[in-house]
Amino acid sequence: MALVELRGVSKSFRKGDETITPLDDIDLDIDAGDFVSLMGPSGTGKSTLLNLVSGIDRPDSGTITVDGTEVTKLSRSKLADWRAANLGYIFQTHNLIPVLTAYENVELPTLLLNLSSTQRRQRVELALEAVGLSDRADHYPRQLSGGQEQRVGIARAIVAHPKVVVADEPTGSLDTETSEQVQVLLQRLNKELDITLLMVTHDRDAASIASRQLMLDRGKFLERGGDKESGSLGEWEVGVGNAGDSVAIKKFG
Amino acid sequence: MFTYVLKTLWRHRTRTLLTVTGAAVAMFVFCFVGSVQEGLQRLTTGSDADRSLIVFQENRFCPTTSRLPEDYSRKIKEIPGVRDVMPIQVWTNNCRASLDIVVFNGADPQQIKSTRPLTLTAGDWHAFSTQRDAAIVGRNVAQRRGLKTGDQFSIGDISVKVAGVFQSTVPSEENLIYTSLAFLQYTRGLDAAGLVTQHEVLLTDDADPDRVASEIDAKLRAGSVATKTRRKGAFQASTLSDLVDLIGFAHWLGYACVGLVLSLVATTTVMSVQDRIKEYAVLQTIGVRPLRAMRLVLTESTILCLVGGIAGTALAMAALAIGGFAIGAEGATIAFRPSIGLALTGALVSLAVGIAAGLAPAIQAGTVPIVNALRQA
Repeated sequence: MALVELRGVSKSFRKGDETITPLDDIDLDIDAGDFVSLMGPSGTGKSTLLNLVSGIDRPDSGTITVDGTEVTKLSRSKLADWRAANLGYIFQTHNLIPVLTAYENVELPTLLLNLSSTQRRQRVELALEAVGLSDRADHYPRQLSGGQEQRVGIARAIVAHPKVVVADEPTGSLDTETSEQVQVLLQRLNKELDITLLMVTHDRDAASIASRQLMLDRGKFLERGGDKESGSLGEWEVGVGNAGDSVAIKKFG
Repeated sequence: MFTYVLKTLWRHRTRTLLTVTGAAVAMFVFCFVGSVQEGLQRLTTGSDADRSLIVFQENRFCPTTSRLPEDYSRKIKEIPGVRDVMPIQVWTNNCRASLDIVVFNGADPQQIKSTRPLTLTAGDWHAFSTQRDAAIVGRNVAQRRGLKTGDQFSIGDISVKVAGVFQSTVPSEENLIYTSLAFLQYTRGLDAAGLVTQHEVLLTDDADPDRVASEIDAKLRAGSVATKTRRKGAFQASTLSDLVDLIGFAHWLGYACVGLVLSLVATTTVMSVQDRIKEYAVLQTIGVRPLRAMRLVLTESTILCLVGGIAGTALAMAALAIGGFAIGAEGATIAFRPSIGLALTGALVSLAVGIAAGLAPAIQAGTVPIVNALRQA
């Protein structure tokens, strides 16, 4: 059984008189330990999908199950508890709490779990160490560079040992060099800590570090069928994980 | 999470300081108004107000116009239910409402000592009893006028030597100056030899005050001056009737202060939440429950209100304790005194207003649509 299962998920928005349906009867399976990147043109529903998986948005229809829990059935409070224990979220704009230090920002999710202060301290120190920011623990977000802020955001996302980490364009607001550092960090977290990652990105280089690369186009998934290890531009298979669709081949780029 | 609230308040310290100051000022006024009302309540209720009577000249109000024969006290004593009678000559520098009224009560020093709940904090009774122009001064008057034992104090045609300063369990007493009856009767201008302003009648435990009052007026009707006898509380309420109306109106001022704090703290908290709505969305994304997000906001508004409210209440208590404020009219005074009840009321009102002020913004923070809020720039 996949760690994350989406079945028949649809989501529509009203924009004036128009109804937009970025996700229409979507199916998707993500196995434990997968690093999935999700690309696609703007407005195709990548972030919407991420928000649905993370339980901060609800689908119009369909079910989303993570590690056996059907998150679409949970109340808002239960969802919050579930997120605290099972989900890490990496934002594009870091979204650190400006009045808290790096340490306190990373500590926040652990305050929501039933942990002793010693356990909390150990976890926060390890998370900061994992992202290479132990020496910046006492710094406030305004005292950190963009890359450092994002690494603090990543530490915050992994500190509670979540089952899934979702990342919404984590390199979107970073320069090339910093972006590469963050990509390497995410890859290491996936390989060394076996963290399951679902990352939305516009950046092909960032997408290429993922073990599984998906593209969302007009409400359907395309999955790259090329050599994943080499990261070369490959082929995109239409309809993988999209129930009822026949498999087709389409060139990307 | 408490650290988050404190740091958020500190981050916007100008706004926090202004809100706390506003709440403090409003609660200061609230407590002052409360102390006036408490003072009036003390004056018109309680055992002293209910178990003693004041015999005054009929249809007279200002002490200077009431002139009763001193020997009425002998006739009053004969009435069943009367324990003791104290003839009192009253002199005041101002019959109208005033914040610095000076009231002299002339009576027998031994009776003053035995019937009044006074404790000398300076000076001694002997000097007061033996020196003709000696006076003991209430603590509030001494504070306001800067008087101490041994000072000579003159006002109008009266000049006394301060033989002591007293405190009392009845706050309004602390706004009086006691002299001997003879001294005040023979003061130039009063021309009151053999006359007194009023008789204070102390009742036995089983006496019915209204029955005794009626009997006194009936018995003295045949005398040279007709009298009107009332319970002490009713007499004082009647004497201060103009002020009573004003004080009754002032309680609306107290409510207005509470409304002001509510509006001020609510506005600040709403602004704070709206500024940081994305932060609340982030907190909920990482797993903070909606109710916990609401509690964070309520904690913020309650801290603002409690800090301001308690500071204002403490300042008001200090000012009331040090200032010795009182308002009086026609020889009766209302003392503004701090009290534990008032301090507790101030703190509880601050707490309640803090919670009430945070409710709307707390709901806003707890029910924020997370995705929309995260999209905010």
